[in-house]
Amino acid sequence: MNEENIVEIKDLRKSFDKGKVTALNGIDLEIKKGEFVSITGPSGSGKSTLLNMIGALDRADEGSVHVAGYDLTLKNDLSEFRSREIGFIFQLHNLIPNLSVLENVEIPLFERNLSGEEMRERALKLLEYMGLSDKVNRKPTELSGGERQRVAIARALANEPSIILADEPTGSLDSKNGQLILEHLRELHEKEKVTLIMVTHDMNVASLANRTIEVLDGRIKT
Amino acid sequence: MSFISLIVKNPFRNKTRSILAIIGIAIGIATIVALGIVTDGLKSSTEDTLKAGGSDFTVMESNISDMLFSSIDEDYVDKIMETDGVEDAVGVLTAVQPIGDNPYFIIIGIDPAKLYLSEMEITSGSAFSSEDAKELVMGKVAAENLNKTVGDSLTLNNTDYKIVGIYQTGNLQQDGGVFMSLDNAQEIQGEEGKVTMIYVKIEKDANVEQITQSIEDKYGNDLTTVASLEDLQSVDQGLNVIDTASWAISLLAIVIGGVGVINTMIMSVYERTREIGVLKAVGWKNRRILSMILGESVVLTLFAGVVGIVMGVVAIQVILAMGMSGIIEPIYSLDVFLRGFLVALIVGLVGGFYPAYRASNLPPTEALRYE
Ligand SMILES: Nc1ncnc2c1ncn2[C@@H]1O[C@H](COP(=O)(O)OP(=O)(O)O)[C@@H](O)[C@H]1O
Ligand SMILES: [Mg+2]
Repeated sequence: MNEENIVEIKDLRKSFDKGKVTALNGIDLEIKKGEFVSITGPSGSGKSTLLNMIGALDRADEGSVHVAGYDLTLKNDLSEFRSREIGFIFQLHNLIPNLSVLENVEIPLFERNLSGEEMRERALKLLEYMGLSDKVNRKPTELSGGERQRVAIARALANEPSIILADEPTGSLDSKNGQLILEHLRELHEKEKVTLIMVTHDMNVASLANRTIEVLDGRIKT
Repeated sequence: MSFISLIVKNPFRNKTRSILAIIGIAIGIATIVALGIVTDGLKSSTEDTLKAGGSDFTVMESNISDMLFSSIDEDYVDKIMETDGVEDAVGVLTAVQPIGDNPYFIIIGIDPAKLYLSEMEITSGSAFSSEDAKELVMGKVAAENLNKTVGDSLTLNNTDYKIVGIYQTGNLQQDGGVFMSLDNAQEIQGEEGKVTMIYVKIEKDANVEQITQSIEDKYGNDLTTVASLEDLQSVDQGLNVIDTASWAISLLAIVIGGVGVINTMIMSVYERTREIGVLKAVGWKNRRILSMILGESVVLTLFAGVVGIVMGVVAIQVILAMGMSGIIEPIYSLDVFLRGFLVALIVGLVGGFYPAYRASNLPPTEALRYE
């Protein structure tokens, strides 16, 4: 594996429903440490499946997937990998409704050996960074869509991941709030040097990245 | 936020469903606790009866199903007195008759010379003194219930007995009845020359086991000895029936409560499918998800445990207030409450395990795709 690459995928194949639906049909992909890559393509082409493979939410049928030094095709518990290396941002914020904004950001920290005070401090700092210091004790339902997505970004950053995986992060926001979220993501990439991989079907959004990959019928279009 | 406080918060997201589940389980726990309070009281008063007057063991008829049916020849009292190591023995005839509101009014016949062995405290009047006089002493509880006092009389089998004293022993069964001479009791019961039990007191340094063994060796065909409640349970089926029934009811409560918990927790996991997917995505181990759901289930049932214990105690108070105070002698032991909690804990763990296992094994991508 090339030292510079944080993601190395070779001939990755994945099908669902006992082979009836082929989602990924031989993907080869290399992503360098610190890169900002966007993945585009029509609906159902396999973008989310590819992102999930990188984040070890699912396993490959065939091929190899190496991410941040982990071989994800080895059959062991990958929760440790997800906790240490990956921060997910979804189209829907998926915040827990009965918990406060602060508590939602603390959720990923349970797998660390932190005291309650340390957890709180870390979450508060991230929320401050996302411009939400005045909303820490609110419930997610009391926030706007853009604010919720910023909480979700804070949550994704809680464990200081080396890679942020964002699946249509602006997909359910209006253009003004979408713009703000993209600003945050770009700032993260530029200032914190995190690797950012973002799925989007919006060409304007995709063009913010260093590189755009197009997926079509489970393959990367060249 | 601690993991525990997350677990405690979650069950109350859907308040209606959780409250319904808590009520369902609490009713089961209340039944167990109420039964425990009553049966403990029953056992303790039975034990008091066995050890009446500080006797060391009791002799009964062998091969009977209930101590109430015991009947032995009065002659055995003297024979047992002669046994090595025995200091004193007294034959007692116990009869039960419905009187007033009490269907289990107890009549105890005893040799007046040995009445002191019952350790009763005469609170007014005096003890009956002769074998033949139609006299009796009445327990404090019975006197209150029947509104009788010294000088009044009580009619038993068409004969008037003069109440010469009121006593107190602290045992509800005894305080709810009367003591009279053995001859009189035998006459009322039509059991001339018979006694129900013989209470035996042994000499200071004598060994209970040796003496009971020698009595059983000699008279084993007719007599059996009972030195403890456990001994009694091997002789007396009544207590066993009550024990078995309360176990069966407890088991039923556990099963019903368990099904309620499984149902509630499955619903809760189902509703939170996406959320569980997110927890996996942020790096939670399967084991943590399992403990969270299992913990929520236990929080629910322990809550039900508290509610159930309160309900059980209230139910007993209501039953007592409805006029059963002469029959039921509740014992509120820590043991009964711990049993209630233990059952709650078991129901929570057993009922929560399957939903928790399912949640922890959800494939994350499917959970996240769930609408
Ligand atoms: N868990 C799954 N079970 C069954 N089919 C799935 C699953 N995940 C994805 N698919 C199918 O795989 C294909 C690719 O899906 P996806 O990666 O979500 O596409 P995209 O994100 O590009 O819209 C689709 O046909 C989709 O229906
Ligand atoms: Mg998708």
